[in-house]
Amino acid sequence: MSASASYDRDEGQRKRGLDIRFNRFRGLATAVVVFAILLFVVDLISAGPLSYFDISFLSSGGATLALAAVGETIVILSGGFDLSAGAVLSLVNVVLATSMDPMNFEANVLLWTLVGIGVGMGIGAVNGFFIAFVRLQPIVVTLSTMFIIQGVTLLILDKPGGFVSPSIGGFYLGDLVPNWIPMPIALLVVVGFFWLWMKRTRFGTAIYAVGSDPHAAASAGLRVAWTRFFVYVVAGGFYGLGGVFISAQTGSGDPLVGNPLLLSIFAAVVVGGTRLGGGKGGPIGSIFGAYILMIVVNILLVLNVSAYYSTIAEGVILLLAVLAGSISRDSELARQIRGAATRIGAWRAGMLPSQIGGGDRRLSMTDVTRPESRTGEAPSFWSRHGEALRYALPAYVAMVLVVLVTQFWLGNAIFNWTYWNSLIVLSSFLAILALGQGTVILTGGLDLSVPWTIGFCGILLAGMVQGSDAALVYALPVVILVAVVIGLVNGLGIVWLGLSPIVVTLATNGVLQGAALLYSGGTPAGFSSPMLRAFMTSKFLGITPVVYFMVAFVIFAVVFLSRTSFGRRVYGIGNGVRVAQLSGIAVGRTLVGVYVLSAVCSALVGILLTGFSGQASLGMGDDYLLPSIAVVVVGGALITGGRGHYLGMLGGVLLLTALQTLLAGTTLPYATRAIIYGVVVLGAVIALRDRRETS
Amino acid sequence: MRLASRTIGTAAVAALLLGGAALTGTSAQAQDKYKIFLSMSYIGNDWQAEAANMVKAMAAAPGMADKVDLQVQVAGPNAQRQIQQINAMVQQGADAIVTFPISPTALNQVVKNACDKGVLVFAYDAEITEECAYNVHIDQSEAGRIPAEWLVEQLGGKGNIVLVTGVPGTSVDTQRTAAAKEVFAKHPDINVVGEAVGMWSQAVARTELSKILATHDWDEIDGLWMQAGCYTANAMQLEAGKTPEGLLPCAGEGSNGGRIQMLSPDTEVEGAASPYAPLGAPRISYASPPYSGGLALKLAVQKLDGGDVPKLTVLPLPIVTSETVKLCVEGTWEEMKAGCNAFQPSIVTNPGWFASIFSEETPEIGLNAALVGQPEL
Repeated sequence: MSASASYDRDEGQRKRGLDIRFNRFRGLATAVVVFAILLFVVDLISAGPLSYFDISFLSSGGATLALAAVGETIVILSGGFDLSAGAVLSLVNVVLATSMDPMNFEANVLLWTLVGIGVGMGIGAVNGFFIAFVRLQPIVVTLSTMFIIQGVTLLILDKPGGFVSPSIGGFYLGDLVPNWIPMPIALLVVVGFFWLWMKRTRFGTAIYAVGSDPHAAASAGLRVAWTRFFVYVVAGGFYGLGGVFISAQTGSGDPLVGNPLLLSIFAAVVVGGTRLGGGKGGPIGSIFGAYILMIVVNILLVLNVSAYYSTIAEGVILLLAVLAGSISRDSELARQIRGAATRIGAWRAGMLPSQIGGGDRRLSMTDVTRPESRTGEAPSFWSRHGEALRYALPAYVAMVLVVLVTQFWLGNAIFNWTYWNSLIVLSSFLAILALGQGTVILTGGLDLSVPWTIGFCGILLAGMVQGSDAALVYALPVVILVAVVIGLVNGLGIVWLGLSPIVVTLATNGVLQGAALLYSGGTPAGFSSPMLRAFMTSKFLGITPVVYFMVAFVIFAVVFLSRTSFGRRVYGIGNGVRVAQLSGIAVGRTLVGVYVLSAVCSALVGILLTGFSGQASLGMGDDYLLPSIAVVVVGGALITGGRGHYLGMLGGVLLLTALQTLLAGTTLPYATRAIIYGVVVLGAVIALRDRRETS
Repeated sequence: MRLASRTIGTAAVAALLLGGAALTGTSAQAQDKYKIFLSMSYIGNDWQAEAANMVKAMAAAPGMADKVDLQVQVAGPNAQRQIQQINAMVQQGADAIVTFPISPTALNQVVKNACDKGVLVFAYDAEITEECAYNVHIDQSEAGRIPAEWLVEQLGGKGNIVLVTGVPGTSVDTQRTAAAKEVFAKHPDINVVGEAVGMWSQAVARTELSKILATHDWDEIDGLWMQAGCYTANAMQLEAGKTPEGLLPCAGEGSNGGRIQMLSPDTEVEGAASPYAPLGAPRISYASPPYSGGLALKLAVQKLDGGDVPKLTVLPLPIVTSETVKLCVEGTWEEMKAGCNAFQPSIVTNPGWFASIFSEETPEIGLNAALVGQPEL
């Protein structure tokens, strides 16, 4: 079986003594080494030697990211996920910038630091409450709070401005010991010691225990819910400190300053050696991860990497840094290489690999008749579909409510066919993405390459078609083929290199962005053919053609996920990789297939968007990443995999699109809309909460 | 090096403006090149790519090429990275940094530090509020007010309008939208029936307008004020069955697609295909011109040469209405100087491409600069 797994946790348990200790710190050690090498490279190729001044600047440049990454790491260690980190940075920044007295140049550093940390902890407590006690999935809660916080931030400060006292900047960007220790480094050392202390407390142990196995932790008598709650509070405190630091660094407020940091925060955590899913790694690695990401900026500069190549270079550096951390005798790559060696050896000896050890090791399947249980009466409809319905229903109920509100507020909805037609046309993009991203999530992965797969495929299509219907005949297959290749790269990267899906797909996204820029030379040429445009915008029998297509697509998606063997393998993997493997599922092949499916879905969206807009543009896929994850989870799927139904995800798509349509029809300010959006998403999923989980 | 250049500074600038290379050529060979960095923001949109092309073309123009060593870096949408990047540029010994600032305030400290080390910082299009920085941009309030006043006049002071704004939370969007709303507030019979966040993107404008039209009908709307997206709005009206004569007045950005639509329907253009075709659409087209980066670079060199450059250069707001729109045949700087302001679709295949590339101040850069980064010869 070419497919195997880096996912098995028990592998490391076979090791004893020093090996265990080293393995535990492997991620951290690699991050430190990679950082040291990069720093050395910068020093070597820079115009002059690095002075204390340069080091001081480098240390302040990465500090915000490092502090936020420390918070995120603690959440991830406990098995959680926090999308609100970037938004909290912005909120703390504007709170400080608007509440400080512009006349007071000597504001109290300690007081305002505590204010920042307090704001962060307050939001952490809200997140923690919904996650630990209402038992909602972290990704949905933090996605909702992210929107709400962004709205509140804009209400507090609608454009860059405000004032942060120079005393704050003077303190955080100054020196602990002049010409010897810059303050940011001192601060991070303090944070490091704080973590080492906390790790030794019962709370620290509980974080790892809950992250490794919440059920085992609960059985051992740990208070899982309280641990989770405090994890988010502590993490919020670190985001708050990060917000204080960014305020010190910028001396003013900007409501958008933290939001784009979100993906970097996750990248820093992963580069720092923490495994997504919990239980392994630590915040100190993430600090180095953050500095690795920031020093890449300097390296690209000194090497004078052209602008179009910079995202490609970053993607490759990210991959290499993580790959370096995973290289060992047990790593997936090493295993694949050994496997390949075996295969070559077998081929030269003229045998199958399985024959090398002698004998046929396959299980003998003598009894292949139907098992007793399957021959009996079919179970009732409810018992077969009850769970799927229970998780899918809330999205539909919420959608009906939104449509009713639309009818009463704006009129002109329920009995207006245009409304429904627009709703379906606008939903089509997310509905298609939901199949791809949803299938990936069902296996426990995540596809972050969605935005630029959409962008690249759309630009490629428009460039080839150049407004000609005839060209569509060959352009469509070519674009789909390109998508298959993108999916293969993602899938093989994950299966062969044994890397986390987040890292591989994030790197692919960067490479595709560079590829799109190179292909288009900065301005995408060409436009959609008339037929494709008509498909998305004209009316056939009063209905836009894409609506007919969507009906067929939804039927296909439902059958594909719940009635084919591929679909069942996907659920099998999501419920437990080891179990799936032992049951004879070709895990590797299935995973590769899943990422290919996701890439093809993204390509399809790129094609349809090109038809819808009439042309392709750079960044056309940017707005689809978080929604593609949100609809899947709002539709009742479990972010850790194994649970979810396509019809539920479709409900999520319809709910979010109906909600956006309602909000767009009003004249509410953007900030209020963001808050309403977050509240509705949160409300919709409260009904989804997992009642059975032990706490 | 800088002392030497200062002595011939004024003469060099004069020669440069005339496009003459003889004097600068000989004097520049004697000195080292200025090390100038471009720190771009996000390159995932047309405007940014076009502006960067024009900066590169300016650096390659005769009289500049032998003076300037330009390196281009991208910071992405992330202010933290731009802070780090500008620091690294200072560390690499930059003489000047030309930047599209991601935030008007977040860069202040790092810019201050760069200035203290004698590095010139020029911001184009958006602004940096730190006092030592040089800013090159249009008056954003005017960019909101003038199109809004035009729209009110077109509608005779009454009617239902839809607003499509830019990126919420940015100074540019806030200033433009506030100025426009102030105008509309003076006319009680102007009703804003829908307001969408357009993110300065034609593609987003289409999705947002589709959402508004799910609950409103085109017949209920009398006019549009958009920071970007009139081209798309016109295309959508045609799809919905409107005739070109029935298109709503639209006040919006200066994309070439929009300019072509403004031409009277009998204009002959090469490579037109509906909706990227002359329609006689009632429009006012304003723009944040992408040549601002090129001009910022030119001013930076002037300053390095010892010339006098004001801290704030407010660019004239390019305004084109259906009456003043004129098709360019080739798109040279000379031709644009004569008053043309829209380009053949056969040359500019992307309708979202920004057409306001003409400036009296920058004879070095024309259509080829914006398209492929080549200076005028």
